Amino acid sequence: MSEHDPATRNGAMTRRGFIKGALGGGALTAITAYEVFAIQPEPATGEKLPPPTGPTSTLSSADDQTDVLERMRVELLRALDKPRADRRWVMVIDLRKCVGCHACTIACVSENKLPPGVVYRPVIEEEFGTYPNVGRRFIPRPCMQCDNPPCVPVCPVSATYKNEDGVVVVDYPECIGCRACLTACPYSARTADFGLTYTQDAPLAAGLIAGRDAGAAYEKASNFEYGTEWPREGHESPIGNARKCHFCLHRITAGELPACVTTCIGRATLFGDANDPTSLVAGLIARPNVTRLKQELGTEPRVYYLT
Amino acid sequence: MTRDPGATTVDERPEACGLSRRNFVKLSAIAGGSAAFLGGMPGFANLVKAQESVVEGANQYPLVDPANQVYTVCLQCNTGCGIKVKLLEGVATKIEGNPFHPMTMYPHIPYETPIADVGPVDGAICPKGQAGLQTVYDPYRLVSVVKRKPGTKRGENQWETIAFDKAVSEIVEGGDLFGEGHVPGLRESYVLTDKDLAKQMADAIKKITDAKEAAEKVALVEAFKVDFADHLDLLIDPNHPDFGPRNNQFTFAWGRLKDARKDLISRFLGAYGTTNAHGHTTVCQGSLYFTGKAMSEIYTDGKWTGGTKFYWQGDVGNAEFAIFVGASPLEGNYGPPFRVPRLTKNSVDDGMRFVVVDPRYSKTAAKAWKWLPAKPGTEGALALAMIGYLIDNDRYNKAYLAAANEAAAKAVGEPTWTEATWLVKIEDGKPGKFLRASEIGLADKELRPLSTDPEKTFEFDYFVALVNGVPTPVDAYEQDPARAVRGDLLVDNQVLSGITVKSSLQVIADSAHEHTLDEWAEICGLDAADVAEVAREFSAHGRQAVADIHRGVSQHTNGFYNVLAWYTLNAMLGNYDHAGGLIKASTYKADGSKAGQPFSLKQGTGGIAPFGTSIIRHNEKYEKHSLFMRDGYPAKRNWYPLSSDVYQEIIPSIGDAYPYPVKNLMLYMGSPVYSLPAGHAQIPILTDPKKLPLFIVIDPFIGETSMYADYIFPDQMYLERWEFQGSHPSVAFKIQPVRNPAIDPLVPDVTVFGQPMAMSLESLLLAVAERLGLPGFGEGGFGDYGDFVHPDDLYLRMVANLAFGEKEDGSDSVPDADTDEMAIFASARSGIRPSVVDMDRWSRIAGENWAKVVYVLNRGGRFEAYSKGYTEGVLPEPETTPFGFDTTQAAHPFGTLINIYGEKTYDTKSPMTGEHLAGYAKYYPAPVSVLGEPLDDEAQGFDLRMITYREIMQTKSRTSSNYWLLALRPENFILINVVDAQARGLKDEDVVRITSASNPDGVWDLGNGRIVPMDGKVRTTEGIRPGVIGFSLGFGHWSYGSVDFIVDGTTIEGDGRRMKGVHANAAMRIDPYLGNTSLIDPVGGSAVFYDTLVKLVRV
Amino acid sequence: MTTTRRVLYVLAILAVVLGIYGFGSRLLFGERDVHYGSYVNWGLWVAMYLFFAGMAAGSFMVASLDYVFDIPLFRNTGRYALWATVVTLPGALILIGFDLGHMERIWKVYLQPNFTSLLAQLVWTYSTFLVVAVIALVIAMRGTRTALKPVMVVGLAIAIFVSGGVGALLGVNAARVSFQNAMLPAQFPVLNLASGIALLLVMVGFFGVLADPERRIRLVRVLSLTLVALLGVKAYFLWVDYSQALYGQTQEAVAVAGQVLFGPYAWAFWVLQIGLGVVVPAIVLLMASTSRRPPLAALMGVFVLVGLAVGRTSIIFPALAFPEFDGLTEAFTGPHLGLDYEPSLMEWSVTLGVVGLSTLAYLIGTDRLPYFKRTPEVAS
Ligand SMILES: Nc1nc2c(c(=O)[nH]1)N[C@H]1C(S)=C(S)[C@@H](COP(=O)(O)OP(=O)(O)OC[C@H]3O[C@@H](n4cnc5c(=O)[nH]c(N)nc54)[C@H](O)[C@@H]3O)O[C@H]1N2
Ligand SMILES: Nc1nc2c(c(=O)[nH]1)N[C@H]1C(S)=C(S)[C@@H](COP(=O)(O)OP(=O)(O)OC[C@H]3O[C@@H](n4cnc5c(=O)[nH]c(N)nc54)[C@H](O)[C@@H]3O)O[C@H]1N2
Ligand code: SF4
Ligand code: SF4
Ligand code: SF4
Ligand code: SF4
Ligand code: SF4
Ligand SMILES: [Mo]
Repeated sequence: MSEHDPATRNGAMTRRGFIKGALGGGALTAITAYEVFAIQPEPATGEKLPPPTGPTSTLSSADDQTDVLERMRVELLRALDKPRADRRWVMVIDLRKCVGCHACTIACVSENKLPPGVVYRPVIEEEFGTYPNVGRRFIPRPCMQCDNPPCVPVCPVSATYKNEDGVVVVDYPECIGCRACLTACPYSARTADFGLTYTQDAPLAAGLIAGRDAGAAYEKASNFEYGTEWPREGHESPIGNARKCHFCLHRITAGELPACVTTCIGRATLFGDANDPTSLVAGLIARPNVTRLKQELGTEPRVYYLT
Repeated sequence: MTRDPGATTVDERPEACGLSRRNFVKLSAIAGGSAAFLGGMPGFANLVKAQESVVEGANQYPLVDPANQVYTVCLQCNTGCGIKVKLLEGVATKIEGNPFHPMTMYPHIPYETPIADVGPVDGAICPKGQAGLQTVYDPYRLVSVVKRKPGTKRGENQWETIAFDKAVSEIVEGGDLFGEGHVPGLRESYVLTDKDLAKQMADAIKKITDAKEAAEKVALVEAFKVDFADHLDLLIDPNHPDFGPRNNQFTFAWGRLKDARKDLISRFLGAYGTTNAHGHTTVCQGSLYFTGKAMSEIYTDGKWTGGTKFYWQGDVGNAEFAIFVGASPLEGNYGPPFRVPRLTKNSVDDGMRFVVVDPRYSKTAAKAWKWLPAKPGTEGALALAMIGYLIDNDRYNKAYLAAANEAAAKAVGEPTWTEATWLVKIEDGKPGKFLRASEIGLADKELRPLSTDPEKTFEFDYFVALVNGVPTPVDAYEQDPARAVRGDLLVDNQVLSGITVKSSLQVIADSAHEHTLDEWAEICGLDAADVAEVAREFSAHGRQAVADIHRGVSQHTNGFYNVLAWYTLNAMLGNYDHAGGLIKASTYKADGSKAGQPFSLKQGTGGIAPFGTSIIRHNEKYEKHSLFMRDGYPAKRNWYPLSSDVYQEIIPSIGDAYPYPVKNLMLYMGSPVYSLPAGHAQIPILTDPKKLPLFIVIDPFIGETSMYADYIFPDQMYLERWEFQGSHPSVAFKIQPVRNPAIDPLVPDVTVFGQPMAMSLESLLLAVAERLGLPGFGEGGFGDYGDFVHPDDLYLRMVANLAFGEKEDGSDSVPDADTDEMAIFASARSGIRPSVVDMDRWSRIAGENWAKVVYVLNRGGRFEAYSKGYTEGVLPEPETTPFGFDTTQAAHPFGTLINIYGEKTYDTKSPMTGEHLAGYAKYYPAPVSVLGEPLDDEAQGFDLRMITYREIMQTKSRTSSNYWLLALRPENFILINVVDAQARGLKDEDVVRITSASNPDGVWDLGNGRIVPMDGKVRTTEGIRPGVIGFSLGFGHWSYGSVDFIVDGTTIEGDGRRMKGVHANAAMRIDPYLGNTSLIDPVGGSAVFYDTLVKLVRV
Repeated sequence: MTTTRRVLYVLAILAVVLGIYGFGSRLLFGERDVHYGSYVNWGLWVAMYLFFAGMAAGSFMVASLDYVFDIPLFRNTGRYALWATVVTLPGALILIGFDLGHMERIWKVYLQPNFTSLLAQLVWTYSTFLVVAVIALVIAMRGTRTALKPVMVVGLAIAIFVSGGVGALLGVNAARVSFQNAMLPAQFPVLNLASGIALLLVMVGFFGVLADPERRIRLVRVLSLTLVALLGVKAYFLWVDYSQALYGQTQEAVAVAGQVLFGPYAWAFWVLQIGLGVVVPAIVLLMASTSRRPPLAALMGVFVLVGLAVGRTSIIFPALAFPEFDGLTEAFTGPHLGLDYEPSLMEWSVTLGVVGLSTLAYLIGTDRLPYFKRTPEVAS
């Protein structure tokens, strides 16, 4: 990493200090974070770039030198160093930045190998107004990870519950598949796995074309929800279970942001530890333009929307 | 590097106090129903005793391990974002963005970041990129060469698998392959191989072409016949030697093609000796490219030449204000992962505002400050209206436009300059050529050395500009600050020694003043106040305002002039090469053309230099061709002196045998029948072996076009193969993403040049080269460097060039991969068979650069640092004009003269009318036929203008296999304004047929007995201009795995999910004069998508 | 054997045969062939479960008229009613069991129950109920009434609780406005009693049950009038529900009510639930002459049961068919993600099979068990 020793670059010192402080230095993670986060692009000449006219500051302001994705990842690593009960994972979705691309939906489907009929994070589209004064809005809907989740008490075997990180999880092997939680969820955030696959009816046509077996490769591959390997075979869980967004606990634990967050091309979906006052999300949920879905039900969602 | 796995994801539910639980049970049992409501209270579930949970324990997540990740490049659309493919036992199971690539992170991470640290760092990609697995692992992929079953007709969809070697020998040697009589093979046209003879012929033909007088031409043709009497059999037609050799009767056409594969194909076709290598540019955004070409022509050796096929896009991340015209960066374009985060951040956090000009209320419009639903085809009018407003209100960048030559531009810190002040001669009211200094005795012609060989000279004649009314000679590229010329901007009808002249800017101003603002607004169907407000805003942000245009501007019969108008409007701000203005793409060279690069790909190329007229008649003036003497005006079909890669001309020209018949067509990764407007008109040609004797397609699928092939050769798909994706004009950084194998190809191996290699484009071309013994292939194919017997021989060398960089001394080369990176590199690819990935073979080919090659491939290509994309500003002191302020510039500037007045364009004549073209921004109403005549479809009751558009979840003809994406939108619909729907008694979900003057039945006739009606479901919306309907691209398939087909007698069932929705290209207007081709932009070459009037018929 | 019995045997066996496909598919392929899904996540089976459980509870209440309250008129009906409970309850449990994604894990509800979950409460209480009912049956068979009473009392309490519980099961779903109806828990006991009465009417009407024809006519008359009264109450409930909903606050409640009353399946509501289930029986049963034609009365009983069954479906499906968010079903499409639900062939088949099994069990029991052979002891 000597190629880009920050000491030789202006502005970097302070940042290094910040990172050090934030990550207690030392840790491998800290170095990674530092590597990726602290790098300052070197201006063509010795001094800083002059600010372009007007409000555009992308080229000049140091804070813009890192994608929010990297900022959030560094904050994630920081949060992972805390006792689990001290973290408060929240998701913030900036509807002004959501462009309705549905990348998050598909990223989630791919990450968790969701079969037909199962979806954790649809993006709802709305059109309003009359020509030529028209409006369109796009509303992603993950699980709200309610702090008062109606889906939990109705489970006859407590297979679903809020874990210590405050994430509402489904313990697949415990779930009997009664779908009471589906009915109870006011956000339709749960769907049931009926054991289908997208390629199940494709022709086998061995030798003539790739055929079903080759075509099913990615679908049959295991997913790693909750940090456990779940091959898709027979009638084994998660088939027959209720399924839902789990804030990608398996990725978080591995120091990787949730799949829907990393692929958000609008940078509209933000994630982090609200208990960390310096975190991006902590700042955002204190804004006046924050709202939550169906708050009146008292579910206390952990997903916040900026409007 | 994952977190300490001690942490678990799901924890022990807290131990419950048994007693309280038991009490509670009693309680609830007695209290009955009422107890139920206690259930609503939080936390009760936790009172239950926890049992051991299976999801306890260490966190398993192998995908985060860099050793399970390969960095390559997406091709789910042409944007080509960098991707990271996550593998599980060799199977690709998840795709993420490659954070080294500027497309997926803003800003992208430093290139030097150790690969071991990037495991958990993912960039952002769009839903198609995420769904790519379903493109590669598509059950309907071909894994063997298939041949049309002898005895069946093309398109009947009956196939036989055939061994690769046998298939290759059949297409090369020809013969009675289908029981329909003799079929010419590739060998039959591979006739002219003598380089010297070829050179002599080419020179003789050049004389014929350059001859001015008809009589002279005739004489030269006769002379030619005599001189080459023994070799006339090598020509297509001795009476028209300018057609060139019979080699040209082999045509190679492609749809989506990128470098590396392109280099292979050019090498192959060069060796074969055909000029007929044509891409799909004009179906895409043709006139954008060819207006760019006209605007970049360079005045060298006394003539305009060397224009590059390219275009500009807006640097929207740094703009304060932007206008998107016929472009939807939030849904399509180049591309959402790159442009969206810039737009959302800039507009939401930094107060940037943008306007969308689009008849449809796109998702981009949904985020815009203003939506201007201008009438389709009036884009140029809107630009001229704004130009007029800027001039009338004195709100344009005079300092910039005044610079008449390079020295003057540099003096004001501008990388580019224009001919705004140059004087144009006016002949009977019409602007013509530039005035030359010698014509008014201002300065004598000078003898200057030719750029091509300094021994020879040419006569240089200065251009002229007025400086404070005084005529002044102008040399566009004058460097000497002392000779900087800052000319007068608006010079109207001055007479200099008897010659009437205007400044170029005056010519443009006159064009803009053909109508008042109100009249222009009227033409566009907009509110004049809106137009004025947008023009004012546009001119209120210095150079950090930009108009970004795309297909909605270029794909009209007036496409070329629409584009020219908008680019001229940008020139009024002088925003070229400025941050927040118009910028261009820049990529690292990998072909060895840079001094010092280890491998020059020129090495070993030994074929003739192809010559003669191309089947699409591009780069050539009709009136100079021998055919002109035969046919005169109008030409039988259009000629394209200013454009190339005219996709819609290839098959129809073959059908008309104009200018000459073609024997073999090889089509790679294109589906003209599906993708072209009026693509159905090509079916009768493709199904007729007399018109097209042999049709070979390289395609993984039996698609809408490959279904008509005689042979289909399968291919390695994007996660399995090599390609250098390049960049797009929206990207300021210099990059070169490298597509390289991430998974083991689903196609089997074949043996060519004694080497096992996967069945693919490469193996086919190498096999044909082997059979024909083409120069530049096989043993010693790379001359001094050695053999060309395996695709890796080319591709690894190209990566080596890329890794070496562009500085002769090697100072620009990338670091060596350390042992750690080497290990990750190897293990990530361990699931791929040696015929595709072989560390020994690779390191041998790459030689001393091997470690650098690994470094590049580990990062999916080469990407310049974020900070290197822009320079700091250059003007020291702020000026008074709003444009004078110091701004940051693009580090890789266009940096030369921009032709807002195209003398070369003017100098070109319409092959239909023989009239000069206008060289400047001008409004021509659309649509018109190729003869320039308006169409009367409205009179025939076709009352709705049809447009088409992309949605973010589909790509052209090739993602209907992505079931995940289909879950987002199972079928498209016919978008129609509520008012229009009501007037026709239509409501949502009603099924209607789209009919037009050139397709009154509203059907696709597949030529195999099947008729596919263009029936779609109505979707009413407030979000489209009344009088306009739209449908999105990617649906309404009739092949591509959606219908049954027969292979070796077995019927393979199609999947109905893949055929939903409607594809209305067959309704798009056929040009009344051409008969078998869509409407076209005769200048820019664009195929026209948005100028058809249709009628909706209830079914 | 009477013709009615023979006909019933044939029908019951036919039903069981038709049920085989459903049972097979469910056991082999799990829930692959069902049509309920993730938005309409409770289907025909749950509705029929409610209905069967209702009959079981109702019949038990009816049985107590004889075994607990010793009402002379009902003497001897007890054993039939009790038997009815014992044959319908397992049917209910099969239906709800099949509805589970992982039937084989049902034991977890016993070993690790979460009693805040109504479902858990119900499984437990229903199981207890079954046990109690069986014990009661055994004792009753021995004919020792003294020992029987306390058991019956306990059973009665449970019967009432489960009836209320089912209503609450729906009621607790904050998500579903149209379930948010204080009346639901109250309604179910009444409706269940109605189904119990109707069932007895069927038994008495079709198979005699009572030796003495006079008492039979009286009993039929009484049952008829009680049933009409209960139908009156049911009608009142329906009116309250839907009028409330329609004038009611939330757009969802209105939509749901509209769905039931005017939606695509309105015919089921008007024709089956109201027409066949209430109006016709009410009129016919009110006519004194009817009690002289017990089979006719019995037929009315059948109508009422059908009406009640349909009633269960119209409580569940429409409520679930209302999306939590507009545009949700467009946002991501796929199997089991639709809002319009029609039971699949396999679901029907299973339901039919269960009906067949219960009926068969009833017939065989009443034919073979000595319990039903003994001549009823005369009241002292
Ligand atoms: N209605 C409508 N039509 C349009 C447009 C529109 O906006 N609306 N847009 C136009 C534009 S911009 C373009 S660029 C054209 C593009 O149109 P084309 O360039 O003609 O091609 P594609 O539709 O991209 O697909 C080309 C073929 O490539 C095959 N293919 C896919 N993967 C591979 C591979 O790995 N190897 C090989 N050898 N073949 C492969 C597919 O099977 C398909 O047959 O479409 C145009 N058509
Ligand atoms: N999702 C997706 N992205 C893609 C591709 C894809 O297939 N799918 N393909 C890639 C390729 S090859 C290309 S060329 C680019 C194209 O990128 P774009 O040109 O930006 O996309 P289009 O949707 O073809 O056209 C842009 C807009 O033009 C509007 N439009 C249609 N007719 C008119 C008109 O007459 N006037 C005006 N002013 N606007 C009009 C359409 O409504 C649409 O919103 O996209 C690239 N990116
Ligand atoms: S479906 Fe599973 S998680 Fe949901 S309530 Fe039933 S058992 Fe619990
Ligand atoms: S959103 Fe639904 S599933 Fe998620 S916690 Fe809240 S209630 Fe439970
Ligand atoms: S957090 Fe993970 S599981 Fe939840 S929606 Fe995003 S990707 Fe899906
Ligand atoms: S990925 Fe981001 S921008 Fe795209 S739909 Fe999801 S939240 Fe919106
Ligand atoms: S825009 Fe989407 S589909 Fe196109 S290359 Fe990028 S990720 Fe792939
Ligand atoms: Mo394109």
